[in-house]
Amino acid sequence: MAKYTIRRVIQAIPVLFLISVVTYAIMLAAPGGPQQRFAQNPKMTNEQRAKFIHAWGLDQPIPIQYGRWMGILNPDAEGIAALVGPKGLPNFLPSGLSGATNGLLHGDLGYSIDSGNAVGTTIAKAALPTLILAGFALILWIGIAILMGVLAAVRRYSFFDQATTVFAYIGFAMPTFWLGLMLIYLFGVNLHWLPVSGMIETRNSPPFGTDKYWAYLGDNPIKALTDVGRHLILPVITLVVVNIAGDSRFVRASMLEALSQDYVRTAKAKGLAGRSVTFKHALRNALLPVVTNIGLELPFLFSGALITETIFAWPGIGKLTIDATNNFDYTILMGVLFISAVTVVLANLLADVLYAFVDPRIKY
Amino acid sequence: MAKELEQPIGPGGALADELKRRQEEAGADYEINLESLSQWQLAWRKFRKHKLALIGVGIILFFVGVALIGPIFLPYSFSNIARPDQIVYAGRPPSLAHPFGETGGLQRDVLTLVINGARTSLLIGFSSMAIGVLIGTVVGSISGYLGGIVDNLLMRIVDVMLSLPTLFVILVVAQFFKNQRDNVWSIILVFGVFSWMGVSRLVRSLFLSIREREFVEAAKAVGVRDRRIIFRHILPNALSPIVVSATLLIAGNIITEAAVSFLGFGVNPINPTWGNILNNARTFLLVGNWWWPAFPGIAIILTVMAVNFVGDGLRDAFDPRTRA
Repeated sequence: MAKYTIRRVIQAIPVLFLISVVTYAIMLAAPGGPQQRFAQNPKMTNEQRAKFIHAWGLDQPIPIQYGRWMGILNPDAEGIAALVGPKGLPNFLPSGLSGATNGLLHGDLGYSIDSGNAVGTTIAKAALPTLILAGFALILWIGIAILMGVLAAVRRYSFFDQATTVFAYIGFAMPTFWLGLMLIYLFGVNLHWLPVSGMIETRNSPPFGTDKYWAYLGDNPIKALTDVGRHLILPVITLVVVNIAGDSRFVRASMLEALSQDYVRTAKAKGLAGRSVTFKHALRNALLPVVTNIGLELPFLFSGALITETIFAWPGIGKLTIDATNNFDYTILMGVLFISAVTVVLANLLADVLYAFVDPRIKY
Repeated sequence: MAKELEQPIGPGGALADELKRRQEEAGADYEINLESLSQWQLAWRKFRKHKLALIGVGIILFFVGVALIGPIFLPYSFSNIARPDQIVYAGRPPSLAHPFGETGGLQRDVLTLVINGARTSLLIGFSSMAIGVLIGTVVGSISGYLGGIVDNLLMRIVDVMLSLPTLFVILVVAQFFKNQRDNVWSIILVFGVFSWMGVSRLVRSLFLSIREREFVEAAKAVGVRDRRIIFRHILPNALSPIVVSATLLIAGNIITEAAVSFLGFGVNPINPTWGNILNNARTFLLVGNWWWPAFPGIAIILTVMAVNFVGDGLRDAFDPRTRA
């Protein structure tokens, strides 16, 4: 098991390297490049533009830019000497040995060309709201999907089964943004029950994520948490409804498969109670593929709520990405793309390892 | 049953008639039927009995018809904008003159927008599917047929592409074409290029299993060239799962394109799609204009549901385990 995990981690390294190359290539394929954002700015002189380009290293050949971003090359040196870090050892070695601090290999994602803040901190700040939203949604939708799927499978062709089928067809075809807009109209504009944008009531509390906010949260925890909770309801419903559709079908199919197995028939023939057969014999085995599926959906915690976050102005990774795309803030985009890709690779790994863990028949 | 017994099977002509009648009733599965059917004829017989799939085909044909000839019958043109002195800020709700209402802001007829949007949305859905399926089939065939290093290399590329969050990448790449006035084909290309990975994995696995079958071995033994084996022996047998996954791609691409265009990163507004006509809708929703986003959304839901119905029907029709 440990051996298998280690082998998978080692296999993931070339994939991650390729991902970094591909994301960098995508960014640099942009017509005009990052300096494009100043093209229309009449206040900027050519001199200032040239200064900006030089300061960000955009005048360097692309492989060198990539090397600096990755941390293989020392940004303060030119030519072949750039391969050597400040302490005289190759630059790509860990900071303790080479003295280098730049680049992905040293945990540095660079700085936003828009705000100048470190990319790592910017993403970390946006990650908390995303984790709150996606986490709640994920737990709810997986719970409901399993419940719905199992019930539909146990009472196959019943009214409930047919109702979930219809619901799944509609949910599958429904665009997230449309459901979000309709919920905003119904509960926000028409009924005035729930807030439709943001994460907190900005009139009453300090901006989220600041020290002042945490102090405010400490002083009146109930008020602050219900405020966030009220803002959570609509985006969570949106995510849950859209995502239940596929997953409940998946659980249903898996459960039907398990119910048709010989051991279930044997258990029934022995005269065990129906409920015990369903839940002890069938459900446990039906959940095996579901576990893998959930593992594959985990990256969603980081990246999945792009559209929902935009519609509900939720200050998470999705909104950060949209803003960065608008400004062509390529360092932020690189960071977000790379971290999402890493979470996908890790989630795949986790799904495989988990599967081996829950299914004793699998040996590596 | 009882009805059958009541009818006496007479000698001569009556028996032949009865046999014929039974044949017609029993269809392809009954052994008395000596007429042999090709795989596609069999599939069509089963597909025809799938009610939802037929409804799906009907809806799709309806939307295609609307997209092609709809704008001719409309009293308003796509570029029709109300005179400034007649503008109501929040638009007008559905009425007889405007069955789907009018948008906020420029106050355009929503029905006209939806019908014009059908053109581009369907074009994007189907064309990007074609590109995705083409790339996926070529990559999957090469990978599955050749195996070895080529297979390994191609599948690692697929791994990398699958690890990237597609929506993010599409947003970024679609941005590159924002300065083009007419960027529909660029967007189609972007969607095609980022949607082939699933198909290529499917085709690869099909090739891996089919290339071991006896008829391929026989073809190889008599010296048939690789190209002919791929196109004449393996690909036709792999076609039905590819067709089913193609329908899924159409549905997915229509929804994703709508989302990307809704966010303002997709097709430029000179070509209306079901997504980009909603670009400003969010602002006006807050003053109560629900009909603007509602109708294009319903059009998307109906189309995607129809495509999924057809996909289900095709899957059942191609499945040898289901009966006609």
